[in-house]
Amino acid sequence: MALVRGCNFPDDLYYDVEDNVWARLEADGNIAIGMTSQGCALSGEIVAWTAKKVGRVVDQHKSTGTVESGKWVGPVKAPVGGEIVAVNEAAVAIPSTINADPYGAGWLLKLKPADWERDAPALLSGAAAAEAFEAKMQAEGFAGCA
Amino acid sequence: MDKVWRVVDTGLRPAAENIAFNRALLEARQAGEIPNTLRFLRFTPSALLGYHQSAEQELELGYCRANQIEVQRRITGGGAIYFDETQLGWELYLAKPDLGCADMAQISRRICEAAARGISSLGVEARYRPRNDIEVDGRKISGTGGAFEGNALMFQGTLLIRFDVEKMLRVLRIPAEKLSGKAITSARERVANLADLLGFVPDTEAIKWVLSAAFAQEFGVSFLPGELTVPELVRYREALAEIIRPEWIDQIVRPAADMPLLQAVCKFPGGLLRASLAFDAPARRIKQVWFSGDFFVSPKRTVADLEAALRDVPLAEIEPRIAAFFAQAQADLQSLAPADFVAAIKQAVE
Repeated sequence: MALVRGCNFPDDLYYDVEDNVWARLEADGNIAIGMTSQGCALSGEIVAWTAKKVGRVVDQHKSTGTVESGKWVGPVKAPVGGEIVAVNEAAVAIPSTINADPYGAGWLLKLKPADWERDAPALLSGAAAAEAFEAKMQAEGFAGCA
Repeated sequence: MDKVWRVVDTGLRPAAENIAFNRALLEARQAGEIPNTLRFLRFTPSALLGYHQSAEQELELGYCRANQIEVQRRITGGGAIYFDETQLGWELYLAKPDLGCADMAQISRRICEAAARGISSLGVEARYRPRNDIEVDGRKISGTGGAFEGNALMFQGTLLIRFDVEKMLRVLRIPAEKLSGKAITSARERVANLADLLGFVPDTEAIKWVLSAAFAQEFGVSFLPGELTVPELVRYREALAEIIRPEWIDQIVRPAADMPLLQAVCKFPGGLLRASLAFDAPARRIKQVWFSGDFFVSPKRTVADLEAALRDVPLAEIEPRIAAFFAQAQADLQSLAPADFVAAIKQAVE
């Protein structure tokens, strides 16, 4: 696990650094996605998560749904393109789960990827992801995860 | 030389048009088609939901229908509001990199503190109250909310110039005994407007000028009046086509029964405390709470500050949150104890 300015980035995930989202390749070929610990820190306490409906097809870097925190509403971008096959209803019901456990119980939804091989090169993992997050935090003047 | 940002005024419009402009300008800023922009706007009578809210839970829909009050959904977060010609809307459309900070709470604070300075220069003492209110002596005078899209953000606020509190109570489903004298008094204790505070109705152009000046000073820019551009108008027409459809308002529908309005009246040795709350039953979370009754607290604004601090707080966390609030607030409760506020909320829920 990489630790960058107090924010953890598990090694087994793929990151879209710009959009602050992660992707995990599941055993069944689907992709679980969620917000990164830095994304959660920038947002503050999340009070709503509304996903697009199961069955909707979303392009890479397009919105899969919206989160709200501190009265800010913004999209959660898809790290890869695909069809939404599951939404984490537990995170819909209790959105603070996303802050509490962004890589575990706070996952957001699952996608059946349209073309993982095509989209994955845009994502980073391991040391490359950590380096990119550090550069992004530097540019944003980000103090660190609490 | 200062950087130059644009200021536009889109005048008095129905809610659907104003919200379509929100999306159009935010998208246009994200696409780099427009400069950073300050927009002023006004609304014909409207009940505006926060993006993630349900009309059934937040509004008295029968009253809205009978009184030609347009129901609309904002693209920003926060709670439902009643907006009419007696208020002025202000909005900033900015590129995030121009702010040098990506922390959303800090961005809110910076914009709200600047707006509060502008409002204060009219002759009232306006202050930012986290998370997103601007208040005068504990009474809200401006509510705010934001939306972002990639590297662009839109932050918007209301400003109450004159305000019909009774109308607000009729339109919104809020935790107060409807239209009783007490409810109206309670609402007046929580909501302020410039005309009442100043003793006259300030000129709208003067208000726009002080807000523009405050934002110009905060961001080190000057504002140049501008017009909407063709790309914005194209995006506006596309957005309006979606926003005027019932599906836009109905995209989140939750039964009113899932957000009951609950009340408890508790008699403590130190006085009578009434807790009225809107409770998100499935998430077991307080949406909004109003305290009233017969007790002493100084300064008086403590109650409003406590209510603001308890918005969206899970029931399981109220005890530490209330304890932390009173540990930090320099308040003299005299007769009541912090635990009494906890007990009143719990009794209302149980």
